[in-house]
Amino acid sequence: MNLVSFAFRNVARQRHRAWITISAMAFAGFIMIFYASLMEGIIDATERNAISMELGQFQIHVPGYRTDPDLYTLIYQDIALLQTIEGAGFIGTPRLYAFGLAAAGKASAGVRLRGVDLERESLVTEAYGHIMTGKWLDERDPFGVVIGRKLAKTLNVGVGDEVVVVSQAADGSMANDLYAVRGILKSIGEGIDANGFFLNASSFRDLMALEAGVHEIVVRWQGRETPLEQLTQNLGDLVPDLEVKNWRQLRPVVARIVDTSRYSLIIMLMITYTAIGILALNAMLMSVYERIREFGIMKALGIAPWRVFSLILLETVMQVSIASLLALAGGVPLSYYCESHPIDLSKLASASLTFAGIAIDPVWYSRVTFESVFTPVAVLFGMALFAVLYPAGKAAVIRPVQAIYHR
Amino acid sequence: MATILRMTIIGVFFLFLVIGQDVYGGSSSTTMRARQILEEVDDLWRSQSSHSILSMRVKTRHYTRTVTMENWTKGKEKSLVRILSPRKEKDTATLKSGNNVYTYLPKTDRTIRLTSSMMMGSWMGSHFTNDDLVKESRLSEDYDPEIVFEGERDGRSIIEFGLIPKPDAPVVWGKIVFTITAQDHLPIVSQYFDEDMVLARTFTFSDIKEMGGRKVPALMHVVPTDKPEEFTEMVYQSIQFDLEIADSFFSLHQLRRR
Repeated sequence: MNLVSFAFRNVARQRHRAWITISAMAFAGFIMIFYASLMEGIIDATERNAISMELGQFQIHVPGYRTDPDLYTLIYQDIALLQTIEGAGFIGTPRLYAFGLAAAGKASAGVRLRGVDLERESLVTEAYGHIMTGKWLDERDPFGVVIGRKLAKTLNVGVGDEVVVVSQAADGSMANDLYAVRGILKSIGEGIDANGFFLNASSFRDLMALEAGVHEIVVRWQGRETPLEQLTQNLGDLVPDLEVKNWRQLRPVVARIVDTSRYSLIIMLMITYTAIGILALNAMLMSVYERIREFGIMKALGIAPWRVFSLILLETVMQVSIASLLALAGGVPLSYYCESHPIDLSKLASASLTFAGIAIDPVWYSRVTFESVFTPVAVLFGMALFAVLYPAGKAAVIRPVQAIYHR
Repeated sequence: MATILRMTIIGVFFLFLVIGQDVYGGSSSTTMRARQILEEVDDLWRSQSSHSILSMRVKTRHYTRTVTMENWTKGKEKSLVRILSPRKEKDTATLKSGNNVYTYLPKTDRTIRLTSSMMMGSWMGSHFTNDDLVKESRLSEDYDPEIVFEGERDGRSIIEFGLIPKPDAPVVWGKIVFTITAQDHLPIVSQYFDEDMVLARTFTFSDIKEMGGRKVPALMHVVPTDKPEEFTEMVYQSIQFDLEIADSFFSLHQLRRR
């Protein structure tokens, strides 16, 4: 008799238990696919929030600027430098920084003024797309500024309200001007949320009486995927006198969080699959021991041990295949659905979740990748087959007489 | 505020000048004498008022600037400073009332209150912080005074005071050393040491003139120890003392008046 149809009959014969096994595995697979897709989405969002919002992949400074962000520690060869790195496949945007005081009505707060080059900034970072209310900066609106959400709350201002900024200009005079809030950012990171004050680079220069030079150049690699260390090295060679750091060096904590979430995803998957494996093992053990007399008779009829072994494996494969199809049928559409319809925890998490200085969006988007779908399925197969090895082997080598009298 | 601080320091020495005589005769212990002087200083400051015109010259590695300003003070709680020049900053005014500091910005026609985050920032680009402006020198309350030296130094007879902050005093300095002339009790040098007892800045007083009916040093030169090539210099052009100034003068309304 054909081994496949034999296996199929066996499965069909014990329909009840087969369905329990299948549905348990299907449910676990479904959850795993969804969970993996969701984790991919969250890790992605965390990494994006950390890097593309503001930090950038690389930053160039005058050595020492990061420890002592002095107004006069400037990169002067900025235009030539931007051209140089562009020639090598990078794209950069210059930034200007200063500390100041922002006041609106009776409220005031310390701010970090951030002068950005509008044309370039949007090529390198994505803060422009992360506006909660209002609009991003505009060249035609030199007195329109964009501020962090906590800062907006501290100053008690909304879009259209005016803010006075006071600082000390480069010439020692008192820098002050009146701006209108043009936009309020979503949560980007603790620093920007609480003191981020974005304005056009030209407005910054007017305010701070700073004619030339920039404090920071944020760089993004445009080419094919290349190891970060390699790119850091390449970029560093292009600007020998300046300090080049990649985002992992700039924010080691963020890098660690991103790495940790990847590991924790793998660990969570392992735990869940172990549980499923035990479930499959249990079901298979039961189905083998229940039919131990049948196997004894099969052996007595002269069926080779490897055929008995293959039979049990086949039964398992059939069940796992059905379970996988069900898991895919449930998990993939749901994961795709959550790519555009996120799980919104903002009501539970009071708007802004920040972890080690990076914003974690309380709105969870999933992201379906090849790995997030097929790794769960592959592992499901692997675990079920591994789990069934012992009972199958046991059945294959059992002695007929013992089996027939088995109780 | 630079001027307040300055006035405080000068005030201290006026006090030495004014009450020094009383103390000399009466006190037996030098510590008693020093403390008594300090207490008198505080008392004097509660009633004193002044009006002055001064210019401030600041030199740093990055810029040199001169600001002329008009300054009114009353007691140790109130002061108003208005910038006369340069034109870019004309009419910018700072009001100190109690622990609050307000700045009027003519360019934007707005008044803002300085918050703690701005306190360690530079005042008007000088080597003074906004915190200097707010801190009142309650010398007898915050410091334990001691006369550490009295006699000849560099051909002048001087008195040197050491002021050590009391353990719970809300001051940023670890120690202040004042040197005054023995004869007139006019300030010569005051040195501010930080909490690690490292010299942070040195005030030098010179150009003694008769102004507002008193003999005062018209020039004060401040050098931060970590940047010896930089300085802030205050030159008094005129001072009047003990004028009648109403409390209402030190108001937000007055701050905005041009």
